[in-house]
Amino acid sequence: MLRDKLASYKNLLDALAAAQPEQPFASMWLPNREPELQEVTFGEFLNLANSYAWLYRERGLKCQDTVVLVMNQSIAQMAAFAGALLTGIVPTILAYPTFKVDPQKYRSGLSGVTANLKAALVVLDPEFPEELAQYVASTQTVRFDPFETGHEVPKIEWSTPQAHDVAFIQHSAGTTGLQKGVALSHGAVLTQLVHLADAIKLQPSDRIASWLPLYHDMGLIACFILPLVAHLPVAMESPTDWVLWPVSFLKLVTTHRSTICWWPNFTYQFMARRVREEDREGLDLSSLRAVINCSEPVRAQSMDEFHRAYQAYGFSRAALHSSYAMAENTFAVTQSVIDSQTGPLTVYVDRETVGLPGALTTVAADDPRAQSFVSSGPCLEENQVRIVDDNGQDLPEKVVGEILIQSDSLFSGYYNRPDLTAGALRNGWYWTKDRGFKVGADLFVLGRKDDLIIIGGKNIYPIDIEEIAWADHRVRAGRAIAFGVDNADLGTQELFVVAEVLEESYLAEGPDIQLNIRRSIVNELGIAPRIVQVVPPKWIVKSTAGKPARSSSREKFFREFAEFEPKR
Amino acid sequence: MENTAAIEAMIDYIKTVVLRNPKAEVNQDTPLVSSGIIDSFSLVEVLLELEKITNRRIPAGRVAPSDMDTVVKMFEVAERVGHARS
Repeated sequence: MLRDKLASYKNLLDALAAAQPEQPFASMWLPNREPELQEVTFGEFLNLANSYAWLYRERGLKCQDTVVLVMNQSIAQMAAFAGALLTGIVPTILAYPTFKVDPQKYRSGLSGVTANLKAALVVLDPEFPEELAQYVASTQTVRFDPFETGHEVPKIEWSTPQAHDVAFIQHSAGTTGLQKGVALSHGAVLTQLVHLADAIKLQPSDRIASWLPLYHDMGLIACFILPLVAHLPVAMESPTDWVLWPVSFLKLVTTHRSTICWWPNFTYQFMARRVREEDREGLDLSSLRAVINCSEPVRAQSMDEFHRAYQAYGFSRAALHSSYAMAENTFAVTQSVIDSQTGPLTVYVDRETVGLPGALTTVAADDPRAQSFVSSGPCLEENQVRIVDDNGQDLPEKVVGEILIQSDSLFSGYYNRPDLTAGALRNGWYWTKDRGFKVGADLFVLGRKDDLIIIGGKNIYPIDIEEIAWADHRVRAGRAIAFGVDNADLGTQELFVVAEVLEESYLAEGPDIQLNIRRSIVNELGIAPRIVQVVPPKWIVKSTAGKPARSSSREKFFREFAEFEPKR
Repeated sequence: MENTAAIEAMIDYIKTVVLRNPKAEVNQDTPLVSSGIIDSFSLVEVLLELEKITNRRIPAGRVAPSDMDTVVKMFEVAERVGHARS
């Protein structure tokens, strides 16, 4: 039903105009404010958006100018985004600095991104650090809070965009300096939402809950733009508040009777392990009909752990779902079948065949060699996936190759980066650099092609090595990287592992840590690493999504340990 | 300010449970989060331990990650926003 309503809109503003003013829209949990729960109806939200639209006009911005938003997660941030849409100005959201951020790195990243965007205005919130603001490359910077303007602003005339006009820019996850902007048209966004609504069987009774940042496609498209356009309520909190008190998200779900949320894979285990039993009292998760695992390779054990922890609180196994999504496709490419009572398809393959040429061999779930892979589901309508080899030849099912996608919501290029676009878009297909395989209509995603390590003809996924390194209690979980280095003499790659210790004092135990990691890798995978290097805390370069950035860390490694630089 | 025993108990917890290294060099002023000794995902368990040690209910929503950067700061925020348990 909602699918047809979304399909009737010509642009995003048609959808905003059709909203009932008194209908509830956003509820934001703000624990340090009074009241703690800030709530706005669609009418109130559009009034706030109008304040920003007025600001943009006052500052002389024109249709299709770019405005960059660097603000704490808030309803004001969302209104600043919507205000730009109203006036035909192109908004984009960048990550907000935390107190842990390295100022030098943040300055460099922010300056580069805002310069590339040719931003006409950068909007900061009142708390944005002054020492960082001076590095914003823009003609104008403004701090603005629509709740504190204290005066009425005239109603701004809305623009009348065409379907092909750029609506906004979203950034793919990556280190700040290398983030790639994706310009999305009104038509592409609406098309994506129509297919997504269809795939998740979106109903007028649905209610979304989110702790995700709005600079990430999952937070922006699924948890802000979708409810905005489909006129659904969304309950939100900031990632910072969630990480400090994870049960708060489950309380939001309980209070708002939320039905759908999207999470990256690690969230399932975090929620299961970091919420005290006594704090679970009173939770009711029976309203959740889809908790969609997205943006990381989907792991069965993570989802199982969450289900075990919360089934006593009404959480249904049938609510476990998965999706494959990316900013370049606006959002989702695949979605597991919502009506299934068993969750996404899981296949078990002989781990000995993973990484070898040819088809994976399936085995029984209880086979000692079984390695599980969870499907990200079949394609959304008008989305296609191909699995190809390095020459672009299509591969049969169960054979791992690069995932190519084509859809009617695909991006047309990276913003102001034709150099990057040429390599990614070829003959109408987006080459994702993700590795995966298909079984029937289901897509299974394994990881990144460009991080893949090939030693002696065997493909090795870095995550498998890194998890072994994390198992050493002196190595910080999530802070080890593995990469392959070509050795011309051997005609193959060698394995390098860099492991970050929990604290400086562990550096003294470096030789023992190296030995332990080496021994574990050999024991588990039969591969002897060339180098295991132990490094101090905070050494590994992280992406804005908080994940280890392997390529940046690798470059840093060869800068600091030049003696290991491969011969050319 | 909490007494020395309470501060020592928290330092001991961080070393033995969070860092799993009783020999770790942590004192009441050691930056924990900003230096990368503990990451954001560990803060939730540190906060729960702080409640136990101080016998105060601390509304997590009123605590920022920066409030947890050193043991001294933890006890300050517990004093500032916590409520004594009956």
